[in-house]
Amino acid sequence: MPGASYNAIDASPIPVAAGIGLRFPHHDQVLGHKPPVAWFEVHAENYLGGGGVLRVLERVRCDYPLSLHGVGLSLGSAEGLDLAHLARIAELVRRIEPGLTSEHLSWSVVGGEYLADLLPLPMTEEALDVVCRNVEQTQEALQRRILVENPSTYLQFQHSSIPEWEFIAALAQRTGCGILCDVNNIHVSACNHGWDPHRYLDALSAEAVGEIHLGGHALRTLEDGSVVCIDNHGARVAAEVWTLYELALRRFGAKPTLIEWDTDIPAFELLLDEAATATALMRRAAGARHACAA
Amino acid sequence: MPALLELQQSMRAQLLGYATPRDAARAQRLAIYRDTRSGTLVNALRLSFPAVQRLVGAEFFEGGARAFIRTWPPRSACLDDYGADFAGFLRTFAPAAGVPYLGDVAQLEWAVNRALHAEDAAGLDLARLAALDQSTLSRLSFRAHPALSLLCLPFPADAIWRAVLEQDQAAMAAIELGCGPVHLLIERDAAGVQVHRLNAARWQFSARLCAGTPLYELVSADDLAMPQRGPDADTAAWLAEHLSLGRLIDFTLTAPPAGATR
Repeated sequence: MPGASYNAIDASPIPVAAGIGLRFPHHDQVLGHKPPVAWFEVHAENYLGGGGVLRVLERVRCDYPLSLHGVGLSLGSAEGLDLAHLARIAELVRRIEPGLTSEHLSWSVVGGEYLADLLPLPMTEEALDVVCRNVEQTQEALQRRILVENPSTYLQFQHSSIPEWEFIAALAQRTGCGILCDVNNIHVSACNHGWDPHRYLDALSAEAVGEIHLGGHALRTLEDGSVVCIDNHGARVAAEVWTLYELALRRFGAKPTLIEWDTDIPAFELLLDEAATATALMRRAAGARHACAA
Repeated sequence: MPALLELQQSMRAQLLGYATPRDAARAQRLAIYRDTRSGTLVNALRLSFPAVQRLVGAEFFEGGARAFIRTWPPRSACLDDYGADFAGFLRTFAPAAGVPYLGDVAQLEWAVNRALHAEDAAGLDLARLAALDQSTLSRLSFRAHPALSLLCLPFPADAIWRAVLEQDQAAMAAIELGCGPVHLLIERDAAGVQVHRLNAARWQFSARLCAGTPLYELVSADDLAMPQRGPDADTAAWLAEHLSLGRLIDFTLTAPPAGATR
């Protein structure tokens, strides 16, 4: 049975265009020069207090559509959500009225302790029940539909019984949440676990996908000689990821697409450049679709 | 097959180094998450305690931060709130004993951090006070703005903090560490975070006022007996300043003092 339905769109929806993840080093540039960016996304946890930081966000929200991306709600916590944290997110959502609100398919909290990373879940029926419960509680508290992002993972659990793509598709179906399809994460996890990224994309319904993320990754060689693909958001989007993005566009149609860059944050112009590439690919995909329809 | 809660508890123990994964390959993959966790937390402390880091250097800071994280892991996913116990930790951190003022600077930086990030709150509407019956005024107990802190520190942490962040060697050299305690008020105004030095009497009054001490404990018994004279001039001026600058955001009327005749 699908979960309660909430309005996915509010007064200032996120356009089907390329947006940029806004980080502190670019605040002044964005406020001062109002660069031509279709929309911005910020990490909700960076704006839970008041004062000057929140004023900046309010000003950005006046000039641009804004998406709130949570990194600390811990939707996969077996012990349930941190209600105080959820209340603070809800207050920020009420204040900012973001066009989209999203979180991750992962966990970060156990025993009331925040582990400061997006940790992998075993893909089991129990975990699916837990995540569904937590997503429903979040949507109830925020009074809106959220998007849940597929994670990048470096290890799997032997007792996982559901492929991740089926897990996240089932989550969307059961709770009515949308999917934030992180194409770089699909590439990273597919490399690390030998998955077929095409099969992953095929499992997601175009209707459920509300946003796409693109970011950079790096390769790291472990002591045992094995190579792990790390989702570090610290580089340009890789060629293979652009290719996978084009496939995703063919599969889902054009979707709001975000460029994420969190470590060694570059000059803003480089992010504009990445966003321009995403825009060009979106246009090309739309042209191809129209050509097919004609 | 472990239940999810059990698995999460066991993964936490492995991440924090209290348990070892069953094989080396898994340990190396788990280490990726461990590195991200400590990197994120150390960085959160760096952002909140820049002067402490300048005083001891990046490498020493990282060692201290890691030891702190082991003892005081975060309880909230909002990392702006992480580090309230860092100053207390540094005061007992043996390797930092050679920098006796480090804990004071950390405590000031935490207050600055609170002033930056505390939630917004409107100053008390003075019309609410004007509407009160005169006879109840001595029972007023105020609530201070969440961005406001009052610190009494043994070392001149404000001077050290400024000199370190401005990299002002001359100011640093001029600081007399033994000049006695400093009485500080830290707040946020429209221009940003302000750190003021108060005299001891004004600080004492302000600290007790902001902690919710009822006015009848802050003004003399003579003044209470003859309310038409009002509190003494200094106290009245200090209270008026706090009110006009929005440092007080709410009040309650406490019970009358024990033995009060009115």
